[in-house]
Amino acid sequence: MTTLTLPDVTLAPMLPVLLTLLGAVAATVLGFFVPRRTVAIISLLTLALSAVSMGTLWDRGLSAFGGSLQADNAAIALGMVLLLGSAIAVLVSLDTAGRARLNFPEFDAVLMFAVTGTLVIAFSGDLVTMLIGLEVMSLSGYVLATLQDSRESEEAGVKYFLLGATGSAILIYGIALVYGATGSLNYAGIAGAASGLAVQNGPLLVAGALLLLCGFGFKVALAPFHQWTPDVYGGSPTVVSLFLSTVVKVAAFAGMLRVFSGALHNAPAWLDVLAVLTAVTLVVGNLAALFQTNFKRLLAYSAVAQTGFLALTLLGRPETGGPALAYYLLVYTLTTAAALAIVAALQRTEAGLEISDMRGLYYRHPGYAAALSICLASLAGLPPFAGFMAKYMAFQAAFQNGYAWVAVVAALTSIAAFVYYMRVAALLFLPDRTPAREYPGTRTATTFSVALGVVGVTVLGILPNLAYAWVAYPGIWTSLAGT
Amino acid sequence: MIHFFVFVPMLASLLLLVTPVRWREEVAAFAAAVTLALGVLLWRGGGADLVSVPWIAALGVTYSVALDGVSLLLALVTALMTLVAVVYTARRIPNPVTMLSLILAMETGLLGIYAARDLVLFYVFFEDALIPALLMLAFYGKTHRMAALVKFGAYTLLGSMLMLVSIIGVKAIGGSPTFALPDLLRHPVTGAAQTWLYLGFLAAMAVKLPLFPLHAWLPDFHEQNHDSGVADVMGTLYKVGAYGLFRFGMTLFPDASLELRPLLMGLAAFTAIYAAWIAFRQSDWKRLLAYAGLSHMGLVGLGIFSLQPTAMTGALYLLAFQNVYTGALFLAAGMLQERVGSLSTRVGGVMIQAPILSGVTMSLWFASIAVPGLAGFIGEFSVLLGAYQVSPWLAFAAGLSTIAAAVYALSAYQTTYWQARPAGAVTAWDLRGTEWLVLGVPLAVCVVFGVYSGPALHLIQPVVRAILGGGA
Repeated sequence: MTTLTLPDVTLAPMLPVLLTLLGAVAATVLGFFVPRRTVAIISLLTLALSAVSMGTLWDRGLSAFGGSLQADNAAIALGMVLLLGSAIAVLVSLDTAGRARLNFPEFDAVLMFAVTGTLVIAFSGDLVTMLIGLEVMSLSGYVLATLQDSRESEEAGVKYFLLGATGSAILIYGIALVYGATGSLNYAGIAGAASGLAVQNGPLLVAGALLLLCGFGFKVALAPFHQWTPDVYGGSPTVVSLFLSTVVKVAAFAGMLRVFSGALHNAPAWLDVLAVLTAVTLVVGNLAALFQTNFKRLLAYSAVAQTGFLALTLLGRPETGGPALAYYLLVYTLTTAAALAIVAALQRTEAGLEISDMRGLYYRHPGYAAALSICLASLAGLPPFAGFMAKYMAFQAAFQNGYAWVAVVAALTSIAAFVYYMRVAALLFLPDRTPAREYPGTRTATTFSVALGVVGVTVLGILPNLAYAWVAYPGIWTSLAGT
Repeated sequence: MIHFFVFVPMLASLLLLVTPVRWREEVAAFAAAVTLALGVLLWRGGGADLVSVPWIAALGVTYSVALDGVSLLLALVTALMTLVAVVYTARRIPNPVTMLSLILAMETGLLGIYAARDLVLFYVFFEDALIPALLMLAFYGKTHRMAALVKFGAYTLLGSMLMLVSIIGVKAIGGSPTFALPDLLRHPVTGAAQTWLYLGFLAAMAVKLPLFPLHAWLPDFHEQNHDSGVADVMGTLYKVGAYGLFRFGMTLFPDASLELRPLLMGLAAFTAIYAAWIAFRQSDWKRLLAYAGLSHMGLVGLGIFSLQPTAMTGALYLLAFQNVYTGALFLAAGMLQERVGSLSTRVGGVMIQAPILSGVTMSLWFASIAVPGLAGFIGEFSVLLGAYQVSPWLAFAAGLSTIAAAVYALSAYQTTYWQARPAGAVTAWDLRGTEWLVLGVPLAVCVVFGVYSGPALHLIQPVVRAILGGGA
C-alpha cells in the first residue's frame, strides 16, 4: 500500500493570489448588498493588500505545490506591475463606469477574477498552472469586453472570444507537444530535459515551442496574430480597453518570459522565429497606426507596436532581457493607462475621441493636454521620459544577443511611431476657438491615476534606478524556470 | 558649477510656470544672464574638468560632464544668444511666458549636449533640445506648421534612432564597461563594425548638420516658425551635428572617418554650393537665411570631415560665430517683419526710414559673407585653407559658395533696403530700446572676434590637436 503524500501547500507564496481572489469573491457576494462604489473600493483594498503581501515575499524565493507556483523575485516584480495596472483600471472605473453603462458590481467581480488569473501566470512554475491562469484571465477578459450593452462591445467580445479561444487551443497543443518531447510540464523539468534531448524528440520540442509562440502571439498581439487587437481595444468600453491593453498584456508577457526565457531558453529555433515576428509586428503596428483617424484606435495600434518593442527584450539573454522587460512593462503600464484614462475621462461616447477632436485641447483642459503630451512623448521614446530608457534597454538586450538587425528595424519604425504620436501631441496645442466638446463632470480618481502615470514616467525617466535597481540583478532572471 | 551652468535654465523654465505674471520676463532674463555669467566664470577658471558619477550603474550609463575649450566656446555662444533671444522675446511677443520657458528649457538641452561626455547622456540632451523646438513650432508656427513639424521630427528621429543603435553597438562590440567617453576610447571598435557604427552615428549628425540629402526639413522649419525669429535663433543653435561629429565621431571612429573622408567632404562641398544656389532664388528672408545657414554648414562639414587641423579649427570657429550672426540676422528679419508686415525680399526702401536697422543688418550680413575683419572670415578662410591641403578641387568648389553668398545676400539686401520705397507704404520706425542691444551685442561680438581671434582660437586649438592626435 502506497502512502498518501500530501501536496506541498504553503500559504505565504499563494497569499497575493488568494487576496485578489478574495477580492473577486467579495465583489460577487457583496454586490447584492452594497453599492458598486463600495465594491470597487474593497477591490482596491484587496489589491493593496496583495501588493503588501508580495512585498514581504521579496528575496525569499518561496514556492508552493512542489514548484508549480513560484514566488520568486521575477514573479513579484511582474506581479507588482500587474497590480498597479489593475488599480489604475479600478480607479478610472470609479469615474467612468457610470457613463460606460458598466456601473454594476459584476464588473468588479469579473475584473478581479481576471487579475487573479494574471497573477497566477506571473507566479506559474509549470505549464498547467500557467494555462489555468491564462484561461481564467482570458475568460474574464471576454466577459469584460462584452459586459456593456452595445453592438460594438458585443462585436469586440465575440471577436476576442473566437480568436482568443483559437490562441488557447494552439497553446494547449503546443503544451502537449512540449510534454511529449520532454516528459515534463514543469519549467525546470523542461529546461533540464531540453539540454540533453534525444534526437527523435528534437523536432517535437521545436514544433511545441513554435506552437506555444503562436499561442502567446495571439495573447500579446504579435503580428500576424494581432488582427483582433484594434477591433477589441477600439470596440470595448474604454476602461476595459485600458485593462486589456495593460494588465492582460503584461500577464501574457510574463507568461512568455517564464516559458521562453525560462523553460525553453536552450530550445532551438524559436528565437529566430520570434525575431522575425517581432520585426513584422514593429512594421505592421507602426505603419497601421499611422493611418488611424480615431485616437482610441490609434492607441490600440500603438499597443501592437509596443508589443514589438516589448518582444525585443525577449530576444535578449534572460539576464539583460528580463530586467529590460520588467522595466518596460512598468513604464508601458503607466503610460498607456494614463493615456487611456484621459480618453476615458474626456470622451463623449465609448467610441473614444477622434484625432481631430484633440485640436486645441490645451486651451480647454490644460492639465490633461500636458499629461497626454508627456504620455505620447514617452510612448514615442523621447527622453527624459521613461519610455526612452525602456526602449533603449530593449534595443540593447536584442543587440547584445546578436539581433542587431531587429534593433535597426525597431529604430526605423520608431520614426513612423514618432509621426503618429507627435501629430496628436502637436494638435493639442494648436489654437482652436470652438466650444468644449468633452464630457463634463467630476473625475478626481481619473485625474489621480493620470497624475500617477505622468509623474511616474517622468521620475522613472530621470532616475531609472528607482525601479531598475530592484530588478537589475541577473540572478533573478537566470532562474526563471525555478532551477 | 558646471552643473548649475547646465541646469539653471531648466530650473528657471519650470519656475516660470509658477512665477507671478508680473515678474516672469524679469525672472527669465535674470536666469539667462546668470547662466551666461556662470559660463564666463567657467571660462575665466579655464573650463571644467571631467565629473563622472554612475547614473544607471547596471547598464553602464554615467552622468559625465566636462567643459573643455571647444565645448566652452560653443556653450558660451549659446548662453549669449539665449540671453539675446530672451530679451527680444520679452519685448516682441505678446504674452511671452510659454516662449520664454521653452527657450530656457532648450538652453539646458544645448548646454548639456556640449558638456556631455557620456554617449547616452549626450543622446538624452540631444533629444531634450528637440522637444522645446517642436513645441515652439507647434505653439507659435504659421499655417503649414504641422507638415514642417512632422518633417522636422521624422528626419531628426530617423538619425537619432540609428545613432542610438550605434551607441549600443559601440559599447557592446568594443566591450567597454560604461558609456563614458574615456572608457569607450580605451575599448575601441575596429574593422568593418566601426564603419557600420559610424554610419549609424553619422545619420543623426548629418540630419542635424544638415548635410545633403538630409537637409530638407531645414527651410520649412525656419519658414513656418514665428515671424519674430526668436525660435530660429534657437534653431540655429540647434546645429549640433558638427560638434557631435567632432567630439564623438572623429574620436570613436577614426579609421571609418578616414575611409569615408572623400565621400563626406564631397557631400559637404556639394551642400555648400547647392544651398547657396537655392538661397539665391528665395524671396522670403527666413528661407534665404535658412539656405545661407545650410551653405555655411556645408563649409563647417568640409572642415570637420577633412581631418586637417587648420580646417577643423576653422570649422569650429565658423560654427561658433555663425550662430551669433545668423541668429542676429533672424532677429533682424523679425524686426523687419514687425515694421513692414512682410518677410519678402522685395520690400524696397527700408533704408530711408530705418537707417540704423538697415546698417546693422548689412554689417551682420558682411560677417555672414566672410568680409575680412568680421568673425565669419576667419572661419571660412581657415576651412578653405585647410581643406585645400587635403583636396584642392573640393576646396575650390566649396570656395565658390562664398562668392555665391555675396551675390544672394547683397541682391536680396538691395531689393529690400535700397531701391525706391513703394508709394503708400507704412512708415518703418528705427531701432528702439532693447533692440539696440539685441542686434548690437552680436555685432560687437562679430567685430571683436573678427579682429582679435586669439581668445577663441586658444580655446579651440588644443582640443583639435588632441583629437587629431588620437585622444580627447
